[in-house]
Amino acid sequence: MNDDKLKIGKFEFNSRLFIGTGKYENFEIMKKAHEASGAEVVTVAIRRVDLRDKSKESMLSHIDTNKITILPNTAGCFTAEEAIRTARLAREVGLPNWIKLEVIGDKKTLMPDNEETLKTTKVLVEEGFTVLAYTNDDIVYAKRFEEAGAGAVMPLGAPIGSGQGILNPNNIKIILENARVPIIVDAGVGTASDSTIAMELGADGVLLNTGVALAKDPVKMARAMKLAVESGRDAFLAGRIPKKLYASASSPTEGVVR
Amino acid sequence: MELIINGEKRELECNNIVDLLDSLKLNNDTVAVELNKNVVHREKFDNTKLKNNDILEIVKVVGGG
Repeated sequence: MNDDKLKIGKFEFNSRLFIGTGKYENFEIMKKAHEASGAEVVTVAIRRVDLRDKSKESMLSHIDTNKITILPNTAGCFTAEEAIRTARLAREVGLPNWIKLEVIGDKKTLMPDNEETLKTTKVLVEEGFTVLAYTNDDIVYAKRFEEAGAGAVMPLGAPIGSGQGILNPNNIKIILENARVPIIVDAGVGTASDSTIAMELGADGVLLNTGVALAKDPVKMARAMKLAVESGRDAFLAGRIPKKLYASASSPTEGVVR
Repeated sequence: MELIINGEKRELECNNIVDLLDSLKLNNDTVAVELNKNVVHREKFDNTKLKNNDILEIVKVVGGG
């Protein structure tokens, strides 16, 4: 049995991989990718209904909610007010009262606005939300979010959708050394090894969307990410050997035939 | 009466939010509604009256990361 559970507020999971629902070619592929990923958390967005759209198909019918907990996000919000309203609407749609809080400060890079995110965190924590705060890989803000009551802090590995991997592992490591809440590396994961690197550093989880959804074979990439996260977690728990400058023989140096 | 729904002006006659969702043919189990920037709880849909120039947001869950 797995006793290495991820706990965020009142939520508890065996899988440490969070996966998105955006950018898939169709719901069928998305559903298969979710299954292959073993993820127990998937993210969704909240948007205006299209008043002209006559197809009433809900994406939620393609998510196995017996196995998966839905995590709404505030993607696209640029101010605390927008993010607060979005979080409240997400709860009213019937989703659990936790939120991937994302307040963007720059349209082109999608870099987070930490000041607005912090303001929003305080309000939503007060309203009973478990807040997972998306932020830069910045130790000072990671602490601020923790102090403001965030249930988890989610530093980016690289810009959203960029697939550049973990650009500054040292920053992630420093955040991890000082954290008292789970740290989920969110954004930037392009391929399996990026997830492994995040987990080997000691991250509590990885959240990704584009790396799977836009892979040539999303289902295969989802499985690769599952294995990568598990592998990185095991390697972290096992404790790697220190790096040394010189060789150290693996076979006995005594008794060699001369 | 005139309502602004999701940023669009609409001419609709409806007494309350249940009526509104019916006339827009929306399933009220899968949407959430905000009236003049305040969330309206689902159980209050039928006794929340609408008036001229009310601003509504009607949202649903979509794919995202």
